[in-house]
Amino acid sequence: MTTFGSTIAERSPGLVDVTVQKWALPAIFCGLLIFATVISPSFLSVSNFQNVMTQAAPLMIVVIGQTFVILVRGLDLSVASLMATVAVIATAFNTQDNTMIPVIFISAILLCTIVGFINGWLVTKRNVSPFLATLAMMIVLQGLRFYYTQGAPAGVLPEGFRHLGTGKYLGIPANIIACILLFVFLTFVLEKTVFGRKIFIVGGNPTSADLVGINSHNVTITCYIICSIMAGIAGLLLVGFVGTVDNFVGRGYELDSIVAAVIGGVALSGGKGKLLGAILGALILVVLFNIVIIVGLPVQAQLVIKGVIIIGAAAFFARKTRG
Amino acid sequence: MIELNNITKTFPGVKSLDAVTFEAKAGEIHALLGENGAGKSTLIKTIAGAYIPEEGEIIFDGTTRNWESPKQAKDAGIHVIYQELMLFPELSVADNIFIGKEPRTRFGQIDYKQMHMQAREILDRLGHVLAPSETVKNLTVADQQMVEIAKALVGDTKLLVLDEPTAITSGREAAVLFERVNNLKEQGVCIIYISHRLEEIFEIADRVTVLKDGQYVGTKNITDIDKDRLVGMMVGRELSDIYPTKSKRADDVPVLTAHDLSLTPRVKSVSFELFPGEIVGLAGMVGSGRSEVAHALFGSMKRDAGSVTVNGAPYNTPTPKKSIELGIGFLTEDRKEQGLLPLLDAAANITAPGLGEISTNAIISRDKEFVIAENEIQRFAIAIPGPRSDVWNLSGGNQQKILFARWARVCHRVLILDEPTRGVDVGAKVEIYKMIRRLAGEGIAILVISSELQEVVGLSSRVLVMREGVMTGELSGQDVNEKAIMRLATLQDAA
Repeated sequence: MTTFGSTIAERSPGLVDVTVQKWALPAIFCGLLIFATVISPSFLSVSNFQNVMTQAAPLMIVVIGQTFVILVRGLDLSVASLMATVAVIATAFNTQDNTMIPVIFISAILLCTIVGFINGWLVTKRNVSPFLATLAMMIVLQGLRFYYTQGAPAGVLPEGFRHLGTGKYLGIPANIIACILLFVFLTFVLEKTVFGRKIFIVGGNPTSADLVGINSHNVTITCYIICSIMAGIAGLLLVGFVGTVDNFVGRGYELDSIVAAVIGGVALSGGKGKLLGAILGALILVVLFNIVIIVGLPVQAQLVIKGVIIIGAAAFFARKTRG
Repeated sequence: MIELNNITKTFPGVKSLDAVTFEAKAGEIHALLGENGAGKSTLIKTIAGAYIPEEGEIIFDGTTRNWESPKQAKDAGIHVIYQELMLFPELSVADNIFIGKEPRTRFGQIDYKQMHMQAREILDRLGHVLAPSETVKNLTVADQQMVEIAKALVGDTKLLVLDEPTAITSGREAAVLFERVNNLKEQGVCIIYISHRLEEIFEIADRVTVLKDGQYVGTKNITDIDKDRLVGMMVGRELSDIYPTKSKRADDVPVLTAHDLSLTPRVKSVSFELFPGEIVGLAGMVGSGRSEVAHALFGSMKRDAGSVTVNGAPYNTPTPKKSIELGIGFLTEDRKEQGLLPLLDAAANITAPGLGEISTNAIISRDKEFVIAENEIQRFAIAIPGPRSDVWNLSGGNQQKILFARWARVCHRVLILDEPTRGVDVGAKVEIYKMIRRLAGEGIAILVISSELQEVVGLSSRVLVMREGVMTGELSGQDVNEKAIMRLATLQDAA
């Protein structure tokens, strides 16, 4: 007699809670935009806004990938290191010849696929914690990169990459277009396809997933591969934007992407979250950093603000999920 | 030593204890017996102060003591050892024995010398040889259990409750345990002993009290009763009309045969056949390997040996995916851990094993999904606003119906049900029984695993009984009764 009809009256979220849940992020984002515009009217100018978005695009792409991994109860600390490694690959041929772009692209995606597979394999088949597996991957990639570049990466990029990073089509920066396309496609995958449903089932309850005939390991490994490929694409865009390569392209994106996902309501415990939320989380983060600069606060203030936001977001969503 | 008078304790929908009377003396080993759900655990928790009864009084050591907290009971000298050991594996034996009650030096530090000395004294009192400095994780489970008992002897324990202590030990270890427990009895400790195994009750207990469905059945001196009469006390009741009529085989060709199924060490060479339209019970005590048989069939655990055929064709490398494709469903016993998808809505919970059915070119049609889910919700009368509703806040009965609907959809040959009504109130139970009977009527072979004997007997036209991984017997027709099952499930000489 250890279990009884579990009629414990758990309060279901009321109408107000649901509304708050749905509109909190957009509201915060708009609030920040208004705040920034009040302080500095030039903030909302088209050029500045494009500027902010262009900065945000690589982070948003990484966040999309990170969200896939977090949804299956993982996290990926190797994304930033992978971005930098891909950037080094992009300049490895040291040519401005655009015909090398497919070669660079394919080798970058190939590397990312391998990295993602190893991460996922370690987490599932070897039962290594995601934190350790991807931390180790981050270090290994860093070591390989340093070995190859001997500490001082050099080389030039094919012209085409500069276009990707800074060019515009129909007046919209190319990397924003890339970001939007990826976002739309992967949102479709996540919300409308069988594979997307499997991700939510595995993230919500891996044991149940296996029992209903879903191979939770394969789903998880695929999510890690998606995450790595997103990081690779972001790395290529970022190196195109910056124009030169250094050993730390994308530095800090591993944590920023996790923070953005958490702000966006993606549950670190898995199985719950939307790409749109994660993207908004990334935008909020970037706009906040921007505000710090507009206001004239020291750059270090970004860190303090970032920390405070994490705690705030975590507390907000924790309160909500307990209903 | 302790007297409980007319204790009543209710939980939502369940009268767990109904005016129960119980009494145990100092220097006696008093066995508490009953089926799962009889109220043993509730009674123990009431004695230990973890539950506060609505009615009745507890008299301990001559005074009326209605506990308001476990701490009061503990301070008075009541110590309960639960089935799951609560030890700190990285600490030493002495550390564990004195956890929270460590002897101190003048300066407030832990006096290790004193602690080890006292630990040795306590172990001597138990008559058990064990080095106080040994790290607990290096001990056998039986020795760890002794540490648990030693913990009880710090301070003045007058009443010791052992909740199924032999469930985790082997036969030889159990003999040692009995000797130690007898030592304590001779030192005047009152011992309440809960067990499923009848033979050991006769070996160790002085008296036995039987509970059934939350009611007191009787107390006997162990010398005044035999096994048969004890089993009769435990199960002796009429089958009420909550069960549907028994199903009959729709066909004499088995839909599934299993031969020499083994999953070391839990299942040893088990063979059986399932026929279309027949409900077969798989009975046995917890840990007898029942669930493992189901997992080995379904492919969610890897078996070491055995051959299975489905519809006459060999099916020997099962995976859940292939089983589902073959029309085999498996409703697992742990609803929360192995079944429900709490973050998804009712529709997604129902369609989880059949994503192919609601999608074209790997794209899910929510419309199709909602139609299917709506149908199932109506078919099984699930009390839920609609297919979009959350499932995590449903009652246990409705959650179980959702999972039942999930499997009823995909299984067109065999449905395995592991504890289909655990944690479900009586009303929902009856509905689930009807659902099971209905599927059998549609020609599906059903295997019901249950710890509730009454349920097994009420539903099945044939019953397989397991004990410690071995199939000890098969009953059918008139032989399907609780007494016969109990005997096959508990007695060693019954095979």
